[in-house]
Amino acid sequence: MTVWLIKSLLLCLLNVAAALFLSPLCEGIMRKLRAAIHSRIGPPIWQPYWDLLKLLGKEDLRSTGGIVYASLPAFTLGSALLLAALIPMGTAAPLAFAGDMIVVIYVAAMSGVLLMLSGFASASPYASIGSSREMMMLLSVEPILAIALSVGAFKAKTLAVGGMVNWQVQNGPCISMAIAGVAFFLALQAVAGKLPFDIAEADQEIMGGPLVEQSGPRLALFRWAMWVKQLVLAFLLVEVFFPWPHLGSYLIDLIATIVKVLIVLVLVAVIDAVNPRLRIDQALGYYMRVAFSSLAALAFAVIGK
Amino acid sequence: MVNAVHHVEVSIVILIVGSLVSLLFARRRKLCGWVSFAFVCASSVYTGLAVAGACTVASGEHSILSLPQLGSSLTLRIDPLSAIFLAIVAVIALLSTLYSVRYMEHYAHDKVAKFFPILLLCVASMTGVLVCTDFLFFLIFWESMTLTSYFLVTFESENAASQRAGLKYFIITHGATLCMAAAALLLWRTSGSFSFDAIRQTLSAMLTARPFLANAIIFLFFLGFATKAGLLPMGDWLPDAHPVAPSGMSATLSGALVKLGIYGLIRLFCSFLVVSPSLKIWGIILALAGTGSLFVGTLTALRQTDTKRLMAFHTIGQIGYICLGLGVGVYCLDMYPALATIALAGAILHAVNHACFKSCLFLGAGSVLYRTGERDMDKLGGLAAFMPYTTGTTTIASLSIAGVPPLNGFTSKWLIVAGCLLTGMRFPLFLVLGLIALFISLATLASFLKVLGSVFLGRADENLGIKEVPISMIVPQVVLAALCVLLGIFPQLVLRFVGHAIEGVTAMPVAGVNASRMWGGLFLIDGSPVAFWSPLAILTVLAVLALLSYAIQRAGGARTRSVPVWYCGEEHAAATVRYPASSFYLPFKHAFQGIYPSGKVHVPKFPAPLRRALDFDQWLYRPTVKVIDTAADRISRTHVGILQIYLLWIVIGAIVVTGILLWVRG
Repeated sequence: MTVWLIKSLLLCLLNVAAALFLSPLCEGIMRKLRAAIHSRIGPPIWQPYWDLLKLLGKEDLRSTGGIVYASLPAFTLGSALLLAALIPMGTAAPLAFAGDMIVVIYVAAMSGVLLMLSGFASASPYASIGSSREMMMLLSVEPILAIALSVGAFKAKTLAVGGMVNWQVQNGPCISMAIAGVAFFLALQAVAGKLPFDIAEADQEIMGGPLVEQSGPRLALFRWAMWVKQLVLAFLLVEVFFPWPHLGSYLIDLIATIVKVLIVLVLVAVIDAVNPRLRIDQALGYYMRVAFSSLAALAFAVIGK
Repeated sequence: MVNAVHHVEVSIVILIVGSLVSLLFARRRKLCGWVSFAFVCASSVYTGLAVAGACTVASGEHSILSLPQLGSSLTLRIDPLSAIFLAIVAVIALLSTLYSVRYMEHYAHDKVAKFFPILLLCVASMTGVLVCTDFLFFLIFWESMTLTSYFLVTFESENAASQRAGLKYFIITHGATLCMAAAALLLWRTSGSFSFDAIRQTLSAMLTARPFLANAIIFLFFLGFATKAGLLPMGDWLPDAHPVAPSGMSATLSGALVKLGIYGLIRLFCSFLVVSPSLKIWGIILALAGTGSLFVGTLTALRQTDTKRLMAFHTIGQIGYICLGLGVGVYCLDMYPALATIALAGAILHAVNHACFKSCLFLGAGSVLYRTGERDMDKLGGLAAFMPYTTGTTTIASLSIAGVPPLNGFTSKWLIVAGCLLTGMRFPLFLVLGLIALFISLATLASFLKVLGSVFLGRADENLGIKEVPISMIVPQVVLAALCVLLGIFPQLVLRFVGHAIEGVTAMPVAGVNASRMWGGLFLIDGSPVAFWSPLAILTVLAVLALLSYAIQRAGGARTRSVPVWYCGEEHAAATVRYPASSFYLPFKHAFQGIYPSGKVHVPKFPAPLRRALDFDQWLYRPTVKVIDTAADRISRTHVGILQIYLLWIVIGAIVVTGILLWVRG
């Protein structure tokens, strides 16, 4: 019991630390890549770290008082890190006993919810518009995550995320999981808040949406939470839908997973660099079509493919 | 264990006496409220004792009145299932009565004599419905519950909307009661008895002998219960009746009264019907009805801008969740008992949780109405600064209904959705229903973020003179919000009793849900453990990580400064640039337009000849009056006011009289 507890706590710590410290690096790489596509030199890949450090020392300007408002950024980052503890990131999921795929889906929405709440609470009309858009994006994206993961659940006959990974590793690729993986990837673009779906923030339009009134350390935490979430969901995508090649050697598998995550994020960055922003209704229509198409994965799973 | 039944009897008697006593004090608003509250308190204590006595094993029966000629008897009995619903009724009744004591000041023109005594009677009849084991008396209690709640819905006599809504409620629910009465009579014709046991036997015999009639009877019962529960389309009364009722009553309606429909459905499908393959069809029907309700109800709620109407539509949605869980459970009863227990546990737990958060939400909306006189979200904003308690409790309840972990709404939704997905692995239809339920859970979130964002958060204009509501109105809200948190972190507390209820009703062990561990949380078993949820562990980890994040936030030692909102350099009053509730999610709302058809029902024309025949004024009264009138007019012409003429009349009269006398003598 104690050994198990220490082991899962250590794993938990590992996942959280990885998510916390690697996510700015990934963002840095994505920025660099975008700059390369735009024929710019771009910032150094460590720039997100410096951004965070600088923001943490800046003055914290608040438009609203109250203890709840003050604690929202901490809970936002906390819930993003909780998601990291719930999913397998190269190893088994540390908190697998505490949450299955349904919990993962709800926790994934949590940081968004807290961001929206702070947007509404900050009393700026731009923040309200941004939060309202964020909610609509969540409404259109989360069902796709749910459909994709439920295909895995259907295949593996379990709702535990670890169980799905094991099933994939044992049974090899299949059509339904591939379709579900693609759908998940398409949803990732919006979850990460990248073009063409950075509609909620839309810096040129509504000046950062829910973040318009956030500054200093609060802004740092919100930004960090978004980067963590994008990295963690990329891990989830890779682990559940593309866990091969699984060679059994722990180190090689870990490196392979990280490389695959980087590939996913690079793809996200490329799509981000070459697209203009969509309008919210266009995005809704797009994701509604993706959701209905991803039901095809479910149909394939039902007929056993 | 006859004691438990006696406690309930005492509780009902206390309520009826209380209703009469509070009538004596009706002149004095507050006193009347406090007297009623005292009686409800006493009755809740007794109900609580009864619940404690019967929550693990069913109590004995106690027969009060027997009508052997009718094959009916007033026999009371509490089993773990009714104990759970009794607990809901007792707690919600207690809190909403306490809330109403001060809240009823809001209605200056209407006497509280129309409210508290009837509220107490309503609670008494709800209690009666739950402990009856005989259909005749069940219907009597049911009907008195419907009638009393009708009077409470139409409390505002001057308000045309409330009268209209009440009439709709009256007509629809009486149609439902008729259905149930018809079903009970059909069964009575065969068995000659109204008792539940006899009905159970008759129905199971009939299902094999005359399946068509049996299913028709089940359908009639289903219609009756589903109407009360508020399943669409029968639940169309609900979005009209809830907003116009006084808020304490809305909370009781949504928290306790519609639950009795669910209670009836569970009794009908899990206890009255023997487990057979034909149950599967009913399971699918229930699940589809539930999904339809939750889909249409919640997406319609998203479009509302009236706080209480929005919440009423959410009641339809959440009842849909319960019904979906029930449907999956009923579907699985025959072949997958473990899965059946998962879904049924989810359904019953959601009924309990819904009572907590929805009552809290209605009370919160009531508090806003009490202080601002406004239900329209477009006109409200920034109340958080003035009403911190109401804001806090409403936020907790909103996140709870939206299923944000680790609040209580999540656990029951998790059970229902997991039940759907696991059953969906055998019968894929349920997979789709489970995914719809997941999606709608997000829509619920969207809708309540709108409420929070537009009513409470943001900023109001200063000096509106709005204060927090009095303490007797805060307490019920705080208690309910605390329950939301407590039952969220420790669902095991309730699940134990839910397990007993399921065992009692279906006579099956609860094989699918393991809730014995505290830290390890819940896990579901379908052959092997397949789903996991540990609220305590998640909450602890979240708290630790949030603390860590806070440490990071403070690491730079940044100074904090309070600044005005930045409107791009211009100065605006907060209210003029507020983002109104009707603007939220516009593109999304456009996508789901017309999902809830709302046509005006035209009253059918009265046939003209019949109307003429019934119009006594026209053919009897007016002509008679006219004849008499003209006659009197003619006679009055003789009175001209000249003495000589009168004398002439007298002379002529004398001559005529003399003439007549002579003629008679001669």
